[in-house]
Amino acid sequence: MSIVTVQLGQCGNQIGFEVFDTLFSDSHSSQGLCSKRENEAYRASCKERFFSEEENGVPIARAVLVDMEPKVINQTLSKAARSGRWKYGQHAYFCQKQGSGNNWAYGYSVHGPKHKESILDLIQKEVEKCDSLSGFFIIMSMAGGTGSGIGAFVTQNLQDQYSNSLKMNQIIWPYRTGEVIVQNYNSILTLSHLYRSSDALLVHENDAVHKICAKLMKIRQISFSDMNQVLAHQLGSVFQPTYSAEGSPHYRRNPLGLALVSSPSCFLSTFLLWSMSIETIFLFFFTGDLMENLVPHPEFKMLSVRNIPQMSENSLAYSTFTWAGLLKHLRQMLISHAKMEEGIDWQVRPPLSGLPPLGKMPFNKELHFNTSIANLVILRGKDVQSADLDGFKDPALYTSWLKPVDAFNVWKTQRAFSKYEKSATLVSNSQFLVKPLDMIVGKAWNMFASKAYIHQYTKFGIEEEDFLDSFTLLEQVVASYCNL
Amino acid sequence: GDWSAPALWRLLFRVLSPLSTDASSASLALETQACWVKSALCSQGYPRLALAQLPEDGSRGSRELLLALSWLLARGPLPEKLLAQAHVQVGDEMPVCECEALASPGPGAPHVQAEDPVDIRCVQWLMGRLRFRWRCLAASQQEQCTLLSKLLWRLQHENTGLEAALEWRRGELVFWRWMDTVLTACPLEAPAAAAQPTFLPRIPEYGVGKLEPIAQELRALQEELCEAAEHRRVAWEAKVGRQVQGPRWSAARQALQTAVGQELAALQWAWERDRGPAEPHGPHRLVRCEEDAPRGQHVRAAEVIQALRSQEACLEAALCRLQGQCRQELAKLVGSLPGLIWIPPSGH
Repeated sequence: MSIVTVQLGQCGNQIGFEVFDTLFSDSHSSQGLCSKRENEAYRASCKERFFSEEENGVPIARAVLVDMEPKVINQTLSKAARSGRWKYGQHAYFCQKQGSGNNWAYGYSVHGPKHKESILDLIQKEVEKCDSLSGFFIIMSMAGGTGSGIGAFVTQNLQDQYSNSLKMNQIIWPYRTGEVIVQNYNSILTLSHLYRSSDALLVHENDAVHKICAKLMKIRQISFSDMNQVLAHQLGSVFQPTYSAEGSPHYRRNPLGLALVSSPSCFLSTFLLWSMSIETIFLFFFTGDLMENLVPHPEFKMLSVRNIPQMSENSLAYSTFTWAGLLKHLRQMLISHAKMEEGIDWQVRPPLSGLPPLGKMPFNKELHFNTSIANLVILRGKDVQSADLDGFKDPALYTSWLKPVDAFNVWKTQRAFSKYEKSATLVSNSQFLVKPLDMIVGKAWNMFASKAYIHQYTKFGIEEEDFLDSFTLLEQVVASYCNL
Repeated sequence: GDWSAPALWRLLFRVLSPLSTDASSASLALETQACWVKSALCSQGYPRLALAQLPEDGSRGSRELLLALSWLLARGPLPEKLLAQAHVQVGDEMPVCECEALASPGPGAPHVQAEDPVDIRCVQWLMGRLRFRWRCLAASQQEQCTLLSKLLWRLQHENTGLEAALEWRRGELVFWRWMDTVLTACPLEAPAAAAQPTFLPRIPEYGVGKLEPIAQELRALQEELCEAAEHRRVAWEAKVGRQVQGPRWSAARQALQTAVGQELAALQWAWERDRGPAEPHGPHRLVRCEEDAPRGQHVRAAEVIQALRSQEACLEAALCRLQGQCRQELAKLVGSLPGLIWIPPSGH
């Protein structure tokens, strides 16, 4: 099962590089703290997902790079080639000479349709290299012009052309105090378009990642590269191979969501797979993967990632962790809206289940307590079987219409990730993003009400009607998330 | 003419290569290939010395090479061997007797209680899950198609080989007639060479010399072992003779007898199982067949299951025995250490 990554714009290309580099280094690291055989299975599984092999043995990222300016693409290509360990496909990129100037409409309505054929051709070539395509991972910013405008356009076309493949968009939420005046417009247009064509929106907030760099990684002068590394670490900890729920002996083949039940009818396919690639393909399929577990509902598609521990290498050398400690913190991060380990509000408690929310409850309960729709916890490292996850199975954590057994899932592997002996990652479909989303919609609405900058969009075919549709859709999303 | 010599060297190289020749070995220099062919033929006992004297640059010797090829063809079912080598592994094989239990519980049925009013969002959620599963099913169908087409391509390739083999069978007679004429036209080799029908790979002299002392040493060791065992046996018999009375002895004897009985039964079972025609072993394909299909190389799934069941029974008996031993061991330990107590495991 393979994933084709589409890197769009400056942001998407820079993050994409870090993600591949993280995946590659981790899978080739000798610090996995597991048996050689297990390590080989892990590496093979990672490779099948994200890399294809060329004749000379250097793995090639299953990726397509798209930008309207050549500068970042050239940098990204040469950075990968310089690493000497993996690289991008020789012809797997598309660029032009001129960007979109932060104008979403220009990216979506001009660049997109104009270069549609070339871009989709590149993607198709990459798809044809996969024996089995699991889906697309589309990395882009939310508030820019090229990445977000073309990103929305490309995602929509992928939905038309590969309707059965899964699509997950990694989107970068802008700084609250961003420097681009129209970032809120761009954001609502991106979000509303993706909500229609993508299966899951994995959101990273620049503010949160910045804080992690400052507080946990202790970086003084934070560069985009630092932030992208933190982000890639989080994504890597989600996408690297794991075992399915309880004690399964094979790595799940599809991190996005293959869900085929083993049955006599797939006997043949199983055997066929066996013969095609003995080492890299695992024989058994699993039910219940990321998408199916987290985002089956069409109104709830926003995912956030939290991970623990995260620290500079210097501190890591002097730290030891227990699963109980890590999971206690992770749970509190979940219920108290914390974006990282530091500054968790330990006062927040789940509402007592069974009691109606009467006057006794604090008035602003929903502002403090983060209700979840569904959560996935991924544990990697030593003694992982001993980790107790009962804290995440409390019905009070979840919306009333889902039982924890449906709403909570866990993936585990003994194989340690990156340099951490033990690490836990939470992928959560919860109210984490309601507040930031509400704020962006509010700000954009205020500008829209005074008709500011609208002409820059109507000029390229994005009409006021389109804005209104976007507002309606996103307000519905906010309302749905609020009334869990 | 000798223009065909290089091609014949290459052909012999391919025929003699143990594995289907991949790109890397096919690209070897002609000299290397020729040298390889000579030694391979020599090790297989090819009798004509004229071949060994051919130059390795591939400039001469097409007749000798042709004879060598005919020798290989006449000696055994070469086309069949080559076809078997190139046979496409469909992969629908399972190692018999090593079946692992595939204990994968199916998806749990969602338990919706009929009495409670169902939240529409829950239904939408379940619908969404269904949709994802459907999409994944479609994707895996696609995957099957891709793999099937690859498989078909490889089968087509194999077919070409089969067709070539058929062609050979049709023309074989002509070939052998031709070879007869070639042989008749060939000058006979010197009688000295003919008298030496095969020349096997040379075993270095010193190797043979070394074997003798080792064998002697082995014999000495064996004698020593017998002697030591005899000593022990005598000592043991003396010791047992002293303790032979008493209830402990009779209990031990009974336990021994039971153990021996069990072992014997197991041996008997194994012997009975082995007595019949040789049990098929190794990889087998699972296929459906007619009830009255003739008994051949196949093994019935029911028989395999039966065998596994009896194996399971044996293992279970062994487990019981070991558990008993463990219990006894534990009881002994506890008896000797009065400070030890039992507590329930943590977390319960």
